[in-house]
Amino acid sequence: MMNSLRKLKTPLLIMICCLLGVGAGAGNVSAESASDSYIYSYWGDVAAAPAAYVATEWISGSDLGTDAFQEPSDLHVTADNRVYVLDSGNNRIVVLDHDLKLVTTVDSFTREGEPDTFLQPQGIFVTDDGEVLVADTGNKRVVHLDSDFQLIKIIDSPESELLQDSFKFEPVRVVMDHAQRIYVMAAGVFDGFMEFDAGGAFTSFIGANRVYIDPIEYFWKQISTKAQRSQMVMFTPTEFTNLDIDSEGFIYATNGDQWGNNIKKLNAQGSDILRRTGYSDPQGDILYLSSEGPSKLIDIDVADSEIYSVLDGKRGRVFTYNGDGHLMYVFGGLGNQMGQFHTPAAIDRIGEDFLVLDKALGEITVFRTTEYGRTLNEAVKSYYRGEEETAFALFNRTIAMNANLEFAYAGIGKALLRQGDYKGAMMHFKRSLDQKNYSKAFLLYRKAVMREHFPLIMTMLCLAGIGIFAASRLRKVKERRKGASA
Amino acid sequence: MSREWIRFPLNLMVHPFEGYWDLKYDRNRKFTLIISFCVLFLVAVTNILGSQYSGFLVHVYNPESMNSVMEIVYVIVPILFWCVANWSLTTLMDGEGKFVEIFTSTCFALLPLVIIQFPWIWLSNLVSLQETAFYYFSNSVAVLWFVYLLFVGNMTVHQFSPSKTIGIMLLTLVAMGFMAFISLLFFSLVQQIVAFISVIYQELVMRT
Repeated sequence: MMNSLRKLKTPLLIMICCLLGVGAGAGNVSAESASDSYIYSYWGDVAAAPAAYVATEWISGSDLGTDAFQEPSDLHVTADNRVYVLDSGNNRIVVLDHDLKLVTTVDSFTREGEPDTFLQPQGIFVTDDGEVLVADTGNKRVVHLDSDFQLIKIIDSPESELLQDSFKFEPVRVVMDHAQRIYVMAAGVFDGFMEFDAGGAFTSFIGANRVYIDPIEYFWKQISTKAQRSQMVMFTPTEFTNLDIDSEGFIYATNGDQWGNNIKKLNAQGSDILRRTGYSDPQGDILYLSSEGPSKLIDIDVADSEIYSVLDGKRGRVFTYNGDGHLMYVFGGLGNQMGQFHTPAAIDRIGEDFLVLDKALGEITVFRTTEYGRTLNEAVKSYYRGEEETAFALFNRTIAMNANLEFAYAGIGKALLRQGDYKGAMMHFKRSLDQKNYSKAFLLYRKAVMREHFPLIMTMLCLAGIGIFAASRLRKVKERRKGASA
Repeated sequence: MSREWIRFPLNLMVHPFEGYWDLKYDRNRKFTLIISFCVLFLVAVTNILGSQYSGFLVHVYNPESMNSVMEIVYVIVPILFWCVANWSLTTLMDGEGKFVEIFTSTCFALLPLVIIQFPWIWLSNLVSLQETAFYYFSNSVAVLWFVYLLFVGNMTVHQFSPSKTIGIMLLTLVAMGFMAFISLLFFSLVQQIVAFISVIYQELVMRT
């Protein structure tokens, strides 16, 4: 026994080494693919996906050659890729250029000849012209500066019949559209966003969230006395958590709803017009532990071509959807590695890349696209622009990299449909489980087949008719003969 | 006689009162039982083929969740439950039907489901999204026809009045619910007993 073991020793050792090697290799692979990159399939299952974005660097205040960020709460990237970081703890704005190098810091402005400062500002917005709006929360006002950081106007203590006398104006986030209307998300306001006209006068609320009523809570409320009821929680609509505005002036907003739609696209009337034609409604994570609950979205960023990204504060993930509501990619997460966050607070796109601001660490993480991410972005954009040939080629490249990307097949199918390849289009629509477009392709295909075989089908039908007629005649004749002979 | 194998069930479909009377009093039991099992088999086959080959526009199916054995179980178990529940109730409530008669009458009632749905497995591949209304319509027709046959069958087999038959059918559904609950309870208990025994066995084995 011992002898045979000794004989086996060398091959055994080699085998163990090999196994360990394989194991180590596998460990590496899984560590790489554990970059939280996935998408949801039509069936709501998690499907593996290549990483669309990878974190390449992070930037802190000291890296920029200025004081460290203290609880920065918002950042904004302008169309010409200048980055404005709102460093709330230090009451200042830090401006970076497109290479993420420091341009300037702004901590005061002149008001009526005297210097004025911010106090715990929470939100910043910069227009395409470089005008800066700051939700100066501590001072209960919105400050509107021009591109040289000179004061244009200040909005504070709005007055209206819609507002109660005890109303305290605490702006948290702010955006401005092309018509210089300012939309403010204020703390403790359940009626939606506050809209101000170009002069800074309060006009109305828009886009209030619907109230969700818990049936059990409602039952108890019905049978309790007035005194008891006054002690209970009121049914109030949820507050918004963030907003962004796209180039056409539509406001994209996130809220903390557990049951309703937590992403909304508001038109000028304040009604929700977000397209939800994806496999599941855009909402962050679909699968989650019931103890953790659904995603809590805390920031939203709209890029061109109706692509928008939301930031989940609970799990630190960034979800990006296209205009139809299909999930494109997910990245990020909570943790201590590069590409993970402690307390994510804000996202924005700089060109194709993403900036994620971490409030507790006071750092900005930069995510750059991978080959896959670039191809997918470009495919979705060209599909949106109606360039079907380009979209066809790009979608083909994306599915070569990620066969699980079901909605891409629909893009290919549409191009094939345009080219007249109905059968190929049907196959691709079936793969993307798109019944509506499949039906369109199928109708055209059926028509083509019928047209091709029409003579044959008609001939067969005529022949069959004549055959039946002849057979019945023949039988009658036979029966008559039988009757005659009987 | 060979023609009779096909003609009788089809005739029963369109003339249920006559057919079920025939089934209960005039027909050879072996003859009806064989047809019943054939119908049951056909329903199971329709169910399997339907979930696999129905058109994409009427039935989006996940190949990972498709299981032919389970499809058969989904057909057989409810029918057995129905028969057992119906028999248990009607014996208490002066029904004249024997278990075999209940079983055969139920199986014969399933025939419209096969006759209508089987062609639609292939037809549904040839319709567009707007035309799927026909598919759903004929499916509803099949189900209504089935319920009607079940009703007539029950009435004839037990010699009940119509209103009593409806009451019994509803009660049967309730009884089926009870049976499902008790079976689940039973299986869960058996599972626990098995787990308990296996743990004891492991303890004994580990100790020596």
